[in-house]
Amino acid sequence: MDLSLLGQYVLNGLMLGTIYAMVAVGFTLFFGVLDVIKFSHGDVLMVGAFTGLVAYLGLSELGVQSNALLSLGVMLAAVLLIALLGAAMARWLVLPLRGAPPINVLLITLMAGTVLREAIRLFYPAGANPKPFPRLLPTDSISFGALTLRFDSAILIALGLASIVAVHLLVTRTKLGLAIRAVAQDSETAQVMGMNFQRVVLVTFAIGSALAALAGVTAGLYYNEINFGMGLLLGVIGFSAAVVGGLGNLYGAILGGFLFAGLQTLGAVWFAVPAYKDVFAFAVVILVMAWRPTGLIAEQSAERV
Amino acid sequence: MNARVTQRPALWPAFVATAAVASFAYLFLRAEAQWEVAALAAGAVVALLVLGRTRLGAVVGSAWGARPTPLAWGALLAALVVVALFAEDHFALLMIATVLLYGVACLGLTIQFGYAGVVNFSGAAFFGVGGYTAAVLATHTALPHLLVVAVGGVLAGAIGSLLVLPLLRTRGHYAALITVAFAILFKTFLEVNDTLGGPQGLKVPGMRMLGWSFNDNILVGEDVELSFYLSYAVFSLLLLAGALVLVRRLERSWLGLSLDAVRIDETAASVFGFEVARWKILAFTLGNVLAGVAGAVYAMMTGFVAPASFTIAESLILVSIVILGGVGNPVGVLAATALVVVLPEKLQVIQEYRFLLFSGFVILVLLFRPEGLLPRKLRQYLPGWGRA
Amino acid sequence: MLPRPLRHAALCCALMLAAGTAGAKEAVKLVFIGPLTGGVSANGLGGRNATDLAVKLRNAGPKAKYRYELVSLDDECKPNIGVQVATKAAADRSIVAGVTHYCSTVAMATVDVYHKFGLPVVVWGAVLPDITYANDYAEVHRVNGTMINQNDTAAEFMTGLKYKRWAVIHDTTDYGKGHNKYFSEYLAKNGGRILGTFGVTADQQDFSAELTKIKELKPEVVYFGGTTPLGVRIRTQMDKLGVKAVFQGTSGIVSDAYIEGLGPLAEGSLAFREGAPMEKLPGGKFFLEQYNAQKYNDPPEAYGAFAFAAANLVMDAIEKVGPDRRKVRSELNRTRDYQSVVGTITFDDHRQNAVPLITKLVVQDGKWIVWEDSDYAKGKRKLVKP
Repeated sequence: MDLSLLGQYVLNGLMLGTIYAMVAVGFTLFFGVLDVIKFSHGDVLMVGAFTGLVAYLGLSELGVQSNALLSLGVMLAAVLLIALLGAAMARWLVLPLRGAPPINVLLITLMAGTVLREAIRLFYPAGANPKPFPRLLPTDSISFGALTLRFDSAILIALGLASIVAVHLLVTRTKLGLAIRAVAQDSETAQVMGMNFQRVVLVTFAIGSALAALAGVTAGLYYNEINFGMGLLLGVIGFSAAVVGGLGNLYGAILGGFLFAGLQTLGAVWFAVPAYKDVFAFAVVILVMAWRPTGLIAEQSAERV
Repeated sequence: MNARVTQRPALWPAFVATAAVASFAYLFLRAEAQWEVAALAAGAVVALLVLGRTRLGAVVGSAWGARPTPLAWGALLAALVVVALFAEDHFALLMIATVLLYGVACLGLTIQFGYAGVVNFSGAAFFGVGGYTAAVLATHTALPHLLVVAVGGVLAGAIGSLLVLPLLRTRGHYAALITVAFAILFKTFLEVNDTLGGPQGLKVPGMRMLGWSFNDNILVGEDVELSFYLSYAVFSLLLLAGALVLVRRLERSWLGLSLDAVRIDETAASVFGFEVARWKILAFTLGNVLAGVAGAVYAMMTGFVAPASFTIAESLILVSIVILGGVGNPVGVLAATALVVVLPEKLQVIQEYRFLLFSGFVILVLLFRPEGLLPRKLRQYLPGWGRA
Repeated sequence: MLPRPLRHAALCCALMLAAGTAGAKEAVKLVFIGPLTGGVSANGLGGRNATDLAVKLRNAGPKAKYRYELVSLDDECKPNIGVQVATKAAADRSIVAGVTHYCSTVAMATVDVYHKFGLPVVVWGAVLPDITYANDYAEVHRVNGTMINQNDTAAEFMTGLKYKRWAVIHDTTDYGKGHNKYFSEYLAKNGGRILGTFGVTADQQDFSAELTKIKELKPEVVYFGGTTPLGVRIRTQMDKLGVKAVFQGTSGIVSDAYIEGLGPLAEGSLAFREGAPMEKLPGGKFFLEQYNAQKYNDPPEAYGAFAFAAANLVMDAIEKVGPDRRKVRSELNRTRDYQSVVGTITFDDHRQNAVPLITKLVVQDGKWIVWEDSDYAKGKRKLVKP
C-alpha cells in the first residue's frame, strides 16, 4: 500500500478520533466530578447539531451571507444553548439522585437521552428524516498522490483538538479547574473547604455538554448531514473510549478516542468486508476491559468496606 | 416460643385479588374506545398504589405468603380462563403471548440484576440468540421443536459465558460497558453476516409439537375457528408459570440468599467465604438461559427474526421494565411488562409518542418512587413472618 | 288476507326499509402499508396520498356499492416493524385487502404473514423479483415492475456510452443485493468490467474506508444499489475524498429528497426506473390533476401512480365479489387487461404485472429529467470524466 493511501486512512482516522475524543472528554469530566455516567451525552450531541442547524436557518433568514459569520454563529449558538441544557439536566435529573444507587442515575440519563431523541424525531418538522447540514467551510483541497486533504477536514480537526486542549488548560491551570479537580477528588472535603459544590457541578456539566455540542456541529459540517439517531452510536463509542482510556482521566479519554478510531480504521482496512470494523472495535474493547479492568490509564480508587 | 398462637391468615382476599386482576385483564384487552382504555389504565395504577400503601396490600400479601400453592393454581386457572375468552381474537392472544414471553425474559433479568446485582444491558441480545437458534435449527434440521427451544436457551447461556471473564474482573460502570459493547457487537455482527440472513433477517417456521402444528387455526366444529395464537398463548403461559416457580424457589433457597449477599456487599460476602465469582456466573447464565428460551418461542410465534429487533433500545426496555416493576419482585415485573407491552398498543393515540412518554414516565418514577411499582418485600424466613 | 289499506302500508314500509338499507352502505376497510417515516418517507407518503385519493374519489362517485375506509400503517422501511404492522393488519378481520410496501426488504419479510392470514395484497413500489417469484402465495400481487428490466437497460445504456470500468456499492439488504446480482450479470453480458464490489449496511454513516479503496481502483462509474439516504451520503463523501466518477443509481434514488440532500452535487447523477414518466402515462395527467386538487403536503413521487392503480384494482375486485378475503384474492388472481392510470395490468402466473418500458433519468439543474430530453443527450453537457 503506497504511502499516500496510508495517509488517507490516517486522515480519516484522525477525523473520527477527534470527534470521539471530544465526546469521551465530556464523559470523563462528568464521571470525575460526580461519579456518574451520563448516557444522554450522545443525544445531547445530537441536539447540539440540530441547534446549529436551526441557528443557520435563522441567521440565513436574517440575511447573513458570509460563510465565516454563519459558521461562527452556528457554533456559538450550539455551544451556549447546549451548555445551558447540560447544566439543567445536572440540576434536575442528576443531582437529586446523588444518594441513589448508581444504576438509577445511569438509567435516568439513558431515559433522558431517549426523551431528547424522540422529541427531535417527533417535534422537529420531518424529524425522522436525515437533514442536510449546510456546507459552510471551504471545500478546496490539495492532493498528494492518493491522499486528498480538504481544507474543511483540516479546519475541523484543528478546531476539535484546540477545544480539547482548551478544556485541558481550563481544568489544570485555572481556579475553576482547581475547584473541579478538588470536587472530583473528595467532594465532602471540598465543601468543607468552602467550595460551592452545586455550582462546580453545574459548570462542569455545562463545559462537558458544550464540548459535545461542538462535536455535533463538527460531525454535521463534516458529513453534511445530521439525523435524530446520530447520537446513540456516538455516545456509546465515546463512553467506550472514555472507559478504555480510564474514567476520570482526561488523557485517558483522548487516548481512548483516538484508539477507538484507530481500531475502526484498522478493521476497515484488514477485513474484506469493511462493515465488520465496528464488530472488531467493540470486541477489542471487551478484551481490553478483561485485561485491564479499570481502563488503560487505571483509575486509582480505594474502596471503603 | 411465642405465647400468641399465630393464626393462618384467611385465603379469600388473595382469591378475590386474583379474580379482580383477571377480570381487569379481560376488560382491558377488550376495550377499544380510547377513553375506556385510558380510564382502565389510570384505575389500575391508582389501585396498585392504594394496595401498596394500605393494609389491603398487606392482607393480600400475607394471604399469598401463607399458602402459595393453591393460590398459584388458582392464578394459573384464572389466566387460562382469560386466554380462553379471547380464543378467536388473533391480536389479543398475540399481545397476551408477547407479555408472557417478555415476562419470562424479564424474570431472567431479575435473577441477574435483582438478586445478584449483575447489570445486563444486552438482554435483548440473548433474547435474539434464542430467536436465531430457533430460526436456524427449525429450518435446517429435524430436531423436535421443544428441543430447539431448549437449545436456544443453552446457547444463550453459553454465549453469555463468553462475557463472564471480563464481567467478573470489573465493577460498576465498567461492567455495564461490557454488556453495552456486547449488545452493539451482536446487532452489528448479525447485520453484516450473510449466513445468518444479514439485515433482511430469517424466517422462522411455526412450532410443531408432537404433531400438533401451532401455526394452523384450530377448527372446532364447523363454524368456530380459534386463532392459532391460542396454542402459543397456552404454551407461553406454562413457560411463564415454570419460570415463576423457578424464580420463587431460587429466591427462597440458600442459593437466593447467597445471591443477595453478593449483591448487597461483595467485599463483605467474600470475607464470609461466599464464592462471589461462582454466584455471579450462576445468576448471569441462568438469566440468559431464560431470555434465550423466551426468545426462541417468540421467534417461532412471530415467524421472523431480524437484527433490528434486538438492538440496545430493546435491551433498555427490558431493564426499564425490571426497574419500573420493582427490582427483585417477580409480580411487579409482570405487572410492569403488561403495562409496557399492552398500553401503547391499546392507546393508539400515544402509539407514535410511546417511547417518549415511556422514557418520561421512567424518569418520573426514578425521581419520585425509585423502588418501582411493587417494591421487593423483606425476605421471609418463615411463613407469616412478614406481617408487621 | 290483509285489508287493503294495511297491505298498502305494509308495502310502503317494506319499500322504505329497502331504500333505507340501500342508502346506508356497508363500510369496507382497506389497509395501506408503506414507509411514512424515515429516510424514504417521501415515497411512502406519496403512495399513501395516492391511495387516499383513490378511496376518496371512489367514495365520492355514485356507483360504489360500499363505503371504503383506509387504514394506513407505517412500516418505517424496517423488516421487523413491517412484520409487526402486517400482522396487526392481517389479524384484524375487518380489513379486506391491502395496498402494500415500497421497501423491498419489508415486502420480502411480510409475504409469509399475508399468506398465513389469507389477506390479499397488491404491492405498489417494491421492485425485488423474489417478492412474487420466490413463492406461490396467491395472496401477493404486484402492479409495478421488477428490477430485472431496470438493470438490463442500465447495463446496455451505460456500455453504449462507452464506459468500461465500474465499482459497485450496494446495501446489504435483499434490495441492494438483488440490484448487485442483476446488474453484475447484465454488465458482464454487455462487456463492462467490475473492479470491486462493496456491501454497506443500510444505515451506515461513514464510507471513507470503502471510498478510499475505490479511489485506488480508479473506476469510471460508481454504481449504487440502494436507497436515497445512503445515496446522498455516498455522493457527498465521494466528493470529499476526491473520487471522480459518474454516479449511477437505481430507482431507489429517484426522489426529490436526493436532490435536496445534495444540492449542486446531484448534477449529472444517473438513474433508471420502470414505467414511463408520469406525464406520459395513459392516465398520468388525470392522476396529477386530481392529486393536486386535493392539496396534499407531499408530491406523489415516483410510484404514486402505481399505488393509485393498485387501490383501484383492489376496490374494483371488492365491488365485483364483495368484501370477502378469499373471493377478492381469487378475483385479483384473474386480472387480465385491466385498464388503469399506469396502463394495462395483466398478472402472470406469479401474479406479477409486466412493465417493459424503462425510463432513463439524469439530474439536470436540480431536477430529475428524462435522458432523451436532457442537455446531456444532446451533447450540450458532459458527464463527469474520471
